[in-house]
Parts: sequence; structure tokens; C-alpha cells
Amino acid sequence: MGAPDILYIEDNEDFIDVVERAIGQINGGKTKLHVVEDGTLALNTLDTLVENKVKPRLILIDLNLPGLSGLDLLRKIKETPALRYVPALIFSTSDNPVDIRTSLESGANAFVTKPMGYNNVVKCLNSISDFWLNTISVA
Amino acid sequence: MSDYKVDLTNCDKEPIHIPGKVQAHGFLVAVDSKCIITYLSENISDFLPVKAEELLGNDLKNLEQILLPGETIGLNQMLQLGKHAKSFETINPFRIDSGDVSYNLIMSQVANFYLLEFEPTSSATEIDIQKTIGRSVTEMLSGKQLKHLLNNAAEQIKTLIGYDRVMIYKFSDDGHGEVVAEVKENHLDPFLGLHYPASDIPKQARELYKINLTRIIADVDTEASPILTLPVNGEAQPIDLTHSTLRAVSPIHIQYLKNMGVASSFSISLMYRDELWGLIACHNYTPRFINYKAREASKLIGQIISSALEFKQDEELLARSEDYKAAYDALSRQLRKGGSVSSIITEQNSTILDVCDATGAVLIFEDQVIKLGQTPNDEQIKELNAWLKRNMQDRVFHTHQLPELHNQAKEYSDVASGLLACTLSKEMGELMMWFKPEQVTTINWAGNPEKPAEIDEQGQLTLSPRKSFDVWSQTVKNTSDRWTREEIATVLKLREDVVYAINRQANEIRTLNEKLKQAYEELDTFSFTISHDLRTPLSTIKNYSELLLESNTSLDDDARRILKKVIGGADKLNFLIKEVLNYSRVGRAEIEYNQIDMERLLKDIKSDLVVALNVPNLEFSLGDTPPLLGDRTMITQVFANLLNNAVKYSAKSNPPKVKVSGKEINSEVVYEISDNGVGIDLNYYNRIFDLFKRMDNVRSYEGTGVGLAIVKRIIEKHNARIWVESELGVGTIFYVAFKKSGNGSA
Repeated sequence: MGAPDILYIEDNEDFIDVVERAIGQINGGKTKLHVVEDGTLALNTLDTLVENKVKPRLILIDLNLPGLSGLDLLRKIKETPALRYVPALIFSTSDNPVDIRTSLESGANAFVTKPMGYNNVVKCLNSISDFWLNTISVA
Repeated sequence: MSDYKVDLTNCDKEPIHIPGKVQAHGFLVAVDSKCIITYLSENISDFLPVKAEELLGNDLKNLEQILLPGETIGLNQMLQLGKHAKSFETINPFRIDSGDVSYNLIMSQVANFYLLEFEPTSSATEIDIQKTIGRSVTEMLSGKQLKHLLNNAAEQIKTLIGYDRVMIYKFSDDGHGEVVAEVKENHLDPFLGLHYPASDIPKQARELYKINLTRIIADVDTEASPILTLPVNGEAQPIDLTHSTLRAVSPIHIQYLKNMGVASSFSISLMYRDELWGLIACHNYTPRFINYKAREASKLIGQIISSALEFKQDEELLARSEDYKAAYDALSRQLRKGGSVSSIITEQNSTILDVCDATGAVLIFEDQVIKLGQTPNDEQIKELNAWLKRNMQDRVFHTHQLPELHNQAKEYSDVASGLLACTLSKEMGELMMWFKPEQVTTINWAGNPEKPAEIDEQGQLTLSPRKSFDVWSQTVKNTSDRWTREEIATVLKLREDVVYAINRQANEIRTLNEKLKQAYEELDTFSFTISHDLRTPLSTIKNYSELLLESNTSLDDDARRILKKVIGGADKLNFLIKEVLNYSRVGRAEIEYNQIDMERLLKDIKSDLVVALNVPNLEFSLGDTPPLLGDRTMITQVFANLLNNAVKYSAKSNPPKVKVSGKEINSEVVYEISDNGVGIDLNYYNRIFDLFKRMDNVRSYEGTGVGLAIVKRIIEKHNARIWVESELGVGTIFYVAFKKSGNGSA
């Protein structure tokens, strides 16, 4: 199994659909997106990737997830040596300062509030991809 | 004993129970525990062929020998008997026939001495006492009312002892007396209804009346006989004659009786609950001695009246107080049931006015003054309350002469000469008051009561009994009826009930507050959750609408317009949700106090607003910007909302002008945000801060009705203040005042 550019953990089908469409529209449609709909499954997927000595370039995590919660998943990722330096962003509808703070304290590299409207989603993912996939250097 | 000159300075100290003399109609012998004659009245020689000096210091047997030569009376044994029985009541009187004369011997004990008093057995009245008393009691008690009882009693006593005048004399609290019943010989002037000043029967005399239930003064014109004793260590020790029946009378009292023309006086004490209620005072204008048996019979009648008095008086009080009690019970029941305290005690069928014999009542409670019946006016009540607060030591205060104590009360002496006040909370100045009206009464004194003192020939001020008993009328002002012990007790009882109800009410409010707080928190949690959950489907609506619009080129113009409307609606809903989230967040958030640089904060807000609201010609001026102490996020929200409103509602003015400036006033920093916009109808002032409330004149402006609610909430959370001045079509100024220092939540 090859590593995706973005591993996206999200349980809302509609939003997955919207994000998939939006990702297809940016970066010339070349960004590889892999979606997992459950926190525990996501951990399994990541384990498999690590076994194969590969890793995603960016992880997007929704906060409210079935199985393992977004924050717990985030903590596990940050506790896994091979994944520790993979940028992991929380991608949530919340803009609650409390959520933002706990996420950052749990090791999130950034907290992004899901924008409202398709156009804004495209804009948002575009700038995420610009920065986290095309600008920064990773270890 | 030295001559004891009585004048005004020592009148209360005159040792009248040790005058050292006995009345002349009998003689007194006192022996010590060894039956040695220690005291002896000098007049023994008027009765027996012996001189006092011959017996003093000798055994009592010597006296027996003189009384009944050659016979043994056994006085010694009788004294022993009385000593063991601790009373001589069963032995007294002991009849001794000495030659032609017979004596009643009356014995009593005082300290280590025994008094033996010899007085004539012959009496002015010789009647069958047993029979008389039996009849008397039946007659007396047939009176249903106290007044009749007393009249009957006077009548019976007069029959029994045959004195010219029998009066029943009642003492009031201040010690003055009134003749409440009288039976007399026809030719005598009536004393009924007359009042006698307290000084006529001084306190120590009244005390003696409580001990000696009868007292006879056989003849005011006979000279009292001195009691002789052998000096101990060169000094004569006086003997206590409290229990002596022969005890001589105070010279002042003798003079008093003489001035009235009385020759013999006999009195019977009337007791009510161990206090001297009054006297049956009997006067005869010629000397008239009545013997021990007649006096004992009179005493018995006195005792019967006393106990009937208790009964009748109670009965009358009871009848009068039953209505008050019913009113009290009703109030007490209501108070225990709960509800508004002031409404219960002032608005129901029974009010505080009904619990006692008052014509007005006032309740001062929770900053309200509630008046019932006839009372002083508000101003006067306020002043009176202040006076009470300064002078009231106890929970209850009462007077029947308020204007005499408090000069300002003269203004309303007609309605409130009597005051009964009872505190509910001294700190809060909360209390209940009752008023009794002024009773302008006329008291008929027997003589001028204010002139008991006279200047004698030597120019010395002397307490001399009044010589004139001509009726002297006095009008009493600034005085009401007295408050009875019962009224005061009822009021104190009522106070307990009211205080209990107040405390319970306070507890109820506290519980209610707790529940309200809990409900508030639940509501916050609810609105937070629901808003959050609403966002996800809302974003689906918007996302797909946009997606459709974006990706589907086959849509016609109408379809595109419709989709835009869906998106617009989703945007509005999203904004509303955001605001509600913000509002509920304020309720949940903890304040983090920081010093806030207001100039920067306001400039940031302003530049955001100009872009967001698109008001290019806005004239924005920023005055002084003193720093504020508060939660940065929340304070930002306050000014963002207020400025947003100011800009929004003045956008149609030309040009829109918005001004912000702050200054320090005392312990606060006050910011004012003014605009020249549409203004607020101040009739709705109370509602502008309500959630989802929007004024009629701003329907055409975008808004959710949450902005000012959030502002208000944040302000309250900071213990700050907000208020507004506004004029329709002219503009609005909002003021916010934050505490300058310290923890605002303290």
C-alpha cells in the first residue's frame, strides 16, 4: 500500500464528499487523499503504513469520531516515533477556544475550523495544501 | 429611740415598722427564746397593776401571775407549740379572762422574739360571724361583673363592721389610687371616682399591706405608747413590729386621717397575683374598735374577693382578648402557610391592626411603609422610626405618653399618644408599630396631688398630709390608654411568627435562585450543543448548493437564483448560530482579567467593521482610550458589538458619525460609544438587552437580536455597568463602566 499525501479521518459522509471534490479541484487533481471514517480504523491504517515504512505527508483529523476520539487519535500519533513529525491538523466545525487549546496541547500542529460553503472549503484546502504540502520542509 | 423627724429628704427611709410604739387600745410584751420579757409597752400599767420596768428582764411567769394570780395559763407551752407549728394561726386569739376584763392574746414570732399582744375582746360589732360570712360570700359572688362584685363586697363589709364609709380603692401601675366602689352613710360626701396621688400611700406602706392583710387604727386621737426595752451595751435595740397588730401608726398617716376627719380606720388588702391590687378602706368618724374575730372575718372576705378578683378580672380580659386572639391566630396560620409576609399581615381579613386595641398600625418592611387605620403621615413615621432606632434598646417598646418622651410626636398626639413598637430587623430599620389615640381625660383628684409638701413654721419643707380633700380636677393630655401586658405579649408572639416567615421567605428565594442558576446553566449547555449540532447539516446545505452552482453548467438563471437564496439563508442561519454560541459561551466561560490596551483593540475593530459593513463615508473619531481591566476576548466582543451597532444604525445618516472615548471617573473607567443613527425608543429601554429582541425601527437592518444580549451578559459577568441615552432620529450613546482595579467579580 502506497502512502497518501493526506490521510483524512472524518465520519460525516457529506463532508468527506465535499472535501474529496475540493481536493480534486486543487493542485491539478494530483493530491492523493485517503479517508478513514473511524478513529480506531485510522490507527490500524497508520500502523500498516508504518510497517511498510511509509507515512502520509499530512493528517487531517475531525474532533468527533466514532471509535477513538479525534484527540485520542492525535495523542497516539504523536506518541508513535515514526509519525511524530508528520504534520497533524485538527479539522473541526468548532471554533471554541477550549477545543482549540486542548487540541494544540495534545500536539496538533494547527487547528483549522471547517469553513462554511464549498467555495470556502476549496479556498481553505488550497491554502492548507500550499503550506503543509508545498511550502514546509518535513523531517 | 431618738426622735425621728420626718421631712421630704428622708421620707422614704422612715422606719415605720419599727416606730417603737403601740396603739393605746392594747399592750405588747415581747419575750426572747428563754421566755425572758425583753420588750414591754409602757401602757401595760393602764391595763394591769404593774409597771413595765418591774417586768422587763424577768420571766414571763411573772406576767402570768399578775394576769391570773395563783393560776397557770401555760403561756410558755403555747409559745413552744406555736414555735413547733411554725405558726400561731390556730392558737390566735387566745382568750384570757383577767378579773373583770378579758383579753384576746395574739402571738407572733419575729426573729428570736415572740410578740404577745393583748387587746380587748369586746368589739363594736357583736354578730354571728359564721352566718354573716356565709351570706356575704353568696351575695358578693352573685355579681357577674367586677364592678358588681366590688359593690357587693363593700356592702357586705359595711354590714359586718358597721363603719361609716367603706371604699374599695384600686391602685394603678404608677401607684395612684382610685375609689372604684363605695358604700357610706347618707350624710357623707361621696369619694367614689376620686383619685388619690401615690404619695398618699407611700411604697413602704403598700409593702406592709401585702404582709398585714388587715390593719386597724383604733383611734387617731389616743397617744401611742412607747415600747421599753433594756439597753444592750448602753443602747436600746429596736424591735421589728412588722407582724404586730398593735403597731402604732406613722404620725404622718395619723395626721392624714385627722385631716380627713377620720377617727378609726380599718383596711383589708386585696391581692391579685401576689401584688397589691387595692384596699378595702373603711373609715369611721368616731372611734370604733373591732376585735380580732371580726378582723379575721373581714380578712377572709378580702381573701375571697381577691380570688374572685383574679377570676373576674381574667374573665373580663378573656372576653376582650378573644377577638384579638382570633386575629392573631389567623395571622399566625397564614404566616406559617407561606407567601408574602407584608401582604399577609396587612392585606388579609385580619391584619396587624386587629391583634390589639390599637386604632392605627404601620409596617415598615422591605423599603415600604404600609399604614393601616389612623397613623401619623409618612414623613412623621420616618422621623419616628429614626428616633426609635436611636432609642430602642429592646425588641419591643411601648409608651402611653409618646409626646412626653418625643417632642416631635406632639404634632400627631391626637392619633398616636400611645405607641407600641416591635422590631423585625434593627439593622434594616424594619418594624411594626401600633398606635392608640390621645385620651383627653379628666381626673378628679381628692385634693391637689401636686401639693403634698408644705413649708412649716420653721420654714422647712415638710411632707405633710394634705389638709384639703376638695375635688381637684386635672385634664390629662398627650396620653393614651395604657398598653396591656397581654397586648405586648401578643405583639411579641406575632413578631416571632413574622420573623420566622421572613426567614423562610429568604430561604425560598435562595433555593429558587439556585434552581434558576442551574436552569440557566442547562440552557447554556443546551444552546451550545444544539448550535454546534446545527452547523453540520447547515454546512451540508451550503456546500452542496455552492457545489451545484459551481459544477453544474446546465442550470438556468432561475435555478441559479434559487440556489443563491438557499445559500443566503444558510449564511444567515450560520451567523445566528454563531451569535447564540457566543452568547452561551459567555455564560460558560471563566473571566481571565487582563489589562487591555484599548486604543489597539478599538482600531482593530474599526478597520474590520469598515470592511464588513461597507460604510466608506464613516466619520470615526477616537478620543482618550484608558486601559480596561477585563477578559480580552469578552471585552473585544462588547466593543465589537456596540461599534457594529453604532456603525450599522447610522449608516444611512450623512455622514455617519461614530465617536468612542473613555475616561476615568472615580473608581471606574467609563467608555461612551455615540452615533448619529436612528436611535432607540426608550420606552423599550428595558427590553433592548433581551435575547432576540429587535426594535421596530430597525427591521430594515440586518441583525439577530443577540448582540446586545451578549454585551449585557459580558458586562454582568464583569460586574460592570451599561446604560444608554438615546433620541429617535438623533442618535444613541451607550455607556459602559468597568471597575478600575481589583477583581471585578468580588
